[in-house]
Amino acid sequence: MRISFPQKTRTAIGRTAVVGIVIVVIVVAAIAGYAAMTMTSKSTTTSTTQSSASQSPTISPTTSTSVTPTTSVNSSILSITWANVPVTDPAIGSDEASTSALVNLYDTLIFPEPSGQVVPDLATTWTTSPNGTTYTFTLRSGVTFHNGDPLTASDVVYSMNRLLTMGQGYSYLFTAYVKSVTAPNSNTVVFNLKKTFGPFLSALVRLYVLDQNQVAAHEVSTGTQYGNNLDYGSAWLLTHDAGSGAYTTESANLETNIVITEYKNYWNGTNANQPATVNMIGSDNPSTVSSLFKSGQIQITDQWQPYTDVKALGSLPSAKLVSIPAVNEMYIMINTQEAPTNDLYVREAMTYALNYTAVVDNIFTGNSLAQGPVPTALPGHNPNIPVAHQNVTLAKQLIQQSRYYKAGNLSSYSITYYWVTQVPAEQQLAEEFASDMQAIGLKVNVVGEPWLTVVADLGNQTSSPNIVSVEDDASYYEAGSLLQSRYTTPSEGTWEQNEWLHNSTLDNLIYAALSTLDQTQRFQDYMNIQQQIYNMYPTIYAYDVTEIRAYYPTVVNWYAASGHPNALLGYNFIFRDFQFYPSQLTALFG
Amino acid sequence: MKWNWGFILRRLAYSVLALVGLSILVFAIARVLPGDPVRLALGPHASASAVFQLRIQLHLNQPIWLQYIYWIEGIFTGNWGISLFTHRNVLTDVEAFLPATLELLIAAAAIDILIAVPLGVIAGRRENTVVDNAVRVLSYVGIAIPSFVVAIFLQHFFPSYVGQLSPGVQPPPHITGLAFLDALVTAHFSTAWNALLHIIPPAFALALGPIAQEARIMRSSVVENLGRDYTVAEISRGLPERVITLKYLMKPSLIPTITIYALDISSLIANAFLVELIFNWGGFSQYGLNAILSKDLNAIVAVVMIAGVLFVISNFLVDLTVGYLDPRIRLQSRSDE
Repeated sequence: MRISFPQKTRTAIGRTAVVGIVIVVIVVAAIAGYAAMTMTSKSTTTSTTQSSASQSPTISPTTSTSVTPTTSVNSSILSITWANVPVTDPAIGSDEASTSALVNLYDTLIFPEPSGQVVPDLATTWTTSPNGTTYTFTLRSGVTFHNGDPLTASDVVYSMNRLLTMGQGYSYLFTAYVKSVTAPNSNTVVFNLKKTFGPFLSALVRLYVLDQNQVAAHEVSTGTQYGNNLDYGSAWLLTHDAGSGAYTTESANLETNIVITEYKNYWNGTNANQPATVNMIGSDNPSTVSSLFKSGQIQITDQWQPYTDVKALGSLPSAKLVSIPAVNEMYIMINTQEAPTNDLYVREAMTYALNYTAVVDNIFTGNSLAQGPVPTALPGHNPNIPVAHQNVTLAKQLIQQSRYYKAGNLSSYSITYYWVTQVPAEQQLAEEFASDMQAIGLKVNVVGEPWLTVVADLGNQTSSPNIVSVEDDASYYEAGSLLQSRYTTPSEGTWEQNEWLHNSTLDNLIYAALSTLDQTQRFQDYMNIQQQIYNMYPTIYAYDVTEIRAYYPTVVNWYAASGHPNALLGYNFIFRDFQFYPSQLTALFG
Repeated sequence: MKWNWGFILRRLAYSVLALVGLSILVFAIARVLPGDPVRLALGPHASASAVFQLRIQLHLNQPIWLQYIYWIEGIFTGNWGISLFTHRNVLTDVEAFLPATLELLIAAAAIDILIAVPLGVIAGRRENTVVDNAVRVLSYVGIAIPSFVVAIFLQHFFPSYVGQLSPGVQPPPHITGLAFLDALVTAHFSTAWNALLHIIPPAFALALGPIAQEARIMRSSVVENLGRDYTVAEISRGLPERVITLKYLMKPSLIPTITIYALDISSLIANAFLVELIFNWGGFSQYGLNAILSKDLNAIVAVVMIAGVLFVISNFLVDLTVGYLDPRIRLQSRSDE
């Protein structure tokens, strides 16, 4: 039986419901009205600006008609996304986001030029002993840290000792070479090396100078302990800085972003139109980045967006797509100890079987064809190595010369190919590879694995797959950086080498090149080594990485996007050299 | 109001046992995940001494049962271990990131109950009418769409509301860590308004699924109770519909809804993992996601344990609430004794 209330009562309840609904409608209408007003103000200012922007790049600030500033774009802040939140301890951070922050928060003795040369920065002059094991630097006077402390030679000594003791980040560049660092007086630093290290000056761009007193004042007894230095101020440095750079940390949330502001007393002065505040957001989630960019909340996207997404963002009104060469390369690393890829002919055949054009045109669109083990943008690259290209006929001939083909058991082998599941496009690369190898009679088992598993399996030879595709980049501006980290025996067991070369001759060649002081000779050695590696076919050089980003050129004049990149990790983001036009941002988005 | 304290204490004891079991399970699982956490944390170039030192510090050179004892000891002494991702004491991270997630969960829970119950009552009262059917369709849609899809959808239409506050808006003075509440009590009203606008889209994305589910439960419960003798008697006595609904119909109808509500609140934490990521919320769930992806041992255990504690607390509170609503449950065990 259906139960219902008498009509009279229903009317009473209905009245209550009606009143409730009216209240809800009023509240919703208020919110909607507020939102509508905000959107109206945005659309008004946008249309004004677009017409103005085409006439002149230097528009005077428009009068904002935004109703509530808290919901519109904060036009005084330059905001950019990265793959992660920067790690701002100079002894720990070494990824793209971290180095991009560090080069702004801290100064280094010398500065890397895009050509590979170094120029004075904190150090005004330097000398090298005849045997190349002693470097003496004279420091610039009048440099102060962000808290006003003067920067002295003892701070440089402290920074190097801290880096070496902690043994993380870029410490590996110096551990094998630096014997001691001393400060004979307040503006002289002397580095004594155990042995010659040709790229020492290039590597020094990774020694960020900290304020010893400020760090010491924030050492705590929790976290990893380093004797009397307790945690070496590491916990504090993740959310603060102790540098002398052009920017200083304003706030940091280790899960979302850090905000840095210009340092007014920077020794090199401040540039006109440099951004006063930069918001470094650690999020490469495509949906988030897309929303932020479309609404003007960020002005430059990260380089990790799917190509179709970033292309769409770059085609928005007032936005632009930009390709910036990097010193990264995508390596298809071949296990040279595991059958059947332990056969030179199999590896060479695979190298010629891959359709590289399809890779750079359809999968990792916008990247460029590689030319051997070192990216073309990296000084010391060998330009004589052939550009990666497909030759299926040759590949078929080569495979027939392999011992597995001759023994008639090639088809019994399945080549395991790991791709990293965190980068979905890598699956397409793996599938392309498998398809191309099928044409020469090779069976490929494509396996998607999370990064943790890839790192774990590459930890020892027996669990390493036949093939894994991974990007790697140079730590300093010389080919030797990648040659050492990719192909020497100590890098076996890390994710940087799946080749398992076990080649002491190659090790000796690389170490000998690194110890060569004469740069011309050293670069020649690098080139010879690249040729030798190329001839062993331990790696398929899938493509040279090009950073593809979307940005608003009228809002931010960015040297890297204007044809003057500095491809060394982090150095495309020297914010002091940016020109930022908040009025343009206001005009575009309110 | 009389309570059976034996019943409450037993529930508490079960909760503690469940948490101990959870801690053992999670502790073990975190350590059998693939990958060397030390190498993952320090990178491929870390010196052997740095690797050795961190391994010792994490007690990874000890048997797993001893590692567990060290961890339990640390929990009670404030040393929750070092996060390999943030390089800080995990307790510091929890203090930094948990308030943002709690604020989001509270907002989602509030939106959930404030919409689900009236929707359920209206649908139940208007059984098989257009209103009921409309609520039914909305419920199916709400249940079918995962929260992260709703989040992406909302983010598309409200792109300005990513993060807890707009860029450049100064966070309020830290009192509770809940941005909206802190801004409100310190009279930073524009900040509070900004925080409120930012919390609504992710909170609604989290709440939509539970709203749909609970509205259906509430509706069924109302329909069922509407047919009971006492309701018929009240109607026949001429009591106003408002009184019957609010005083006599709501209470019993809420019991199954509240039970589901508790389970839904617990599941909000899990759903928040992706929603926080999409809105770049910077809360505890985002921290947990990063911890899992980087095999941050101590952080993983802390995140799961805190989620477990929140789950247990919400269930315990529901037991009390249901006991409050229904004396038979509250006193059942007492009469058994």
